[in-house]
Amino acid sequence: MDANPILLDDAAGDVVVVVVEGEHDIYTAPTLRERLDEALGRGGGIVVDLTRATFVDSSVLGALLDARRRALEAERGFVVCLGEAVEPGVQRILDITGLVPVLPVVSGRAEAIDAARLDPSGAGA
Amino acid sequence: MSSAPDVSLMMPARPEGVAVVRQALAGMADALGVDAAVLADMKMALSEACTNVVVHAYEGDDGTLEVEMSADDTRLRIRVRDHGRGIQPQVSVARDVPALGLGLPLIAALTDSFEIQGNAGSGTEVRMTFDYLRASDPAESNPVTGTIGDDGRWDSGATRGTPAG
Repeated sequence: MDANPILLDDAAGDVVVVVVEGEHDIYTAPTLRERLDEALGRGGGIVVDLTRATFVDSSVLGALLDARRRALEAERGFVVCLGEAVEPGVQRILDITGLVPVLPVVSGRAEAIDAARLDPSGAGA
Repeated sequence: MSSAPDVSLMMPARPEGVAVVRQALAGMADALGVDAAVLADMKMALSEACTNVVVHAYEGDDGTLEVEMSADDTRLRIRVRDHGRGIQPQVSVARDVPALGLGLPLIAALTDSFEIQGNAGSGTEVRMTFDYLRASDPAESNPVTGTIGDDGRWDSGATRGTPAG
């Protein structure tokens, strides 16, 4: 079992959810980029679900920001979602970098899927 | 709780080693009874410092990553050292290892004190200290400024508020 899986969930149909669990850094960032590439290749909106992530560093932020840029260029929704209780190893880097409105970040996967579906610009979700 | 032993790690400067260093830190912090929020900052800053070594220090050649952690009654001191080409954060890296350029600003924001020593060709040492009980949030004293630039790298001079791109 991979303790830090990155999986694709396309149950929502037109929005692919990239589910990121556990700790992620320079070692797993290439895998995250592969999964994001795969999600971008499927068409539709993209949600990155960090609900069960316990740690993400700047390597992960770089991968997310790069995917967001490409999603915007392709006029696709891109939204990051968190759970109700966010790990400090995830919340802190989002807070001090001020990236919550940029990425953008919302609470709850269902809300994120709706935002990625309805707001292809990704802004203001 | 000052009896926790000092920790010294030396390993190849490879991406898979960064999580090992974090685990050693978590074990030490557990013995010290460090608050979860302070531990989160320790893990982030240490990861960023180690990542800098892995990505920048040796330009793809083999090399070592060295980490020392020393605890006293009030704070944890961490040194991250390499024997590479010396820190040159402005130099771009190969496109297959994209760097955001956010590592050093994050370290500054997450530590109670922080310094870098090094010269080109003689390696780099990053020294960080973390107080167990903080009088204030270091991220307020040394905030991360800027936002993501159009080139995909961090732009410290950019104004936040309007998403770029």
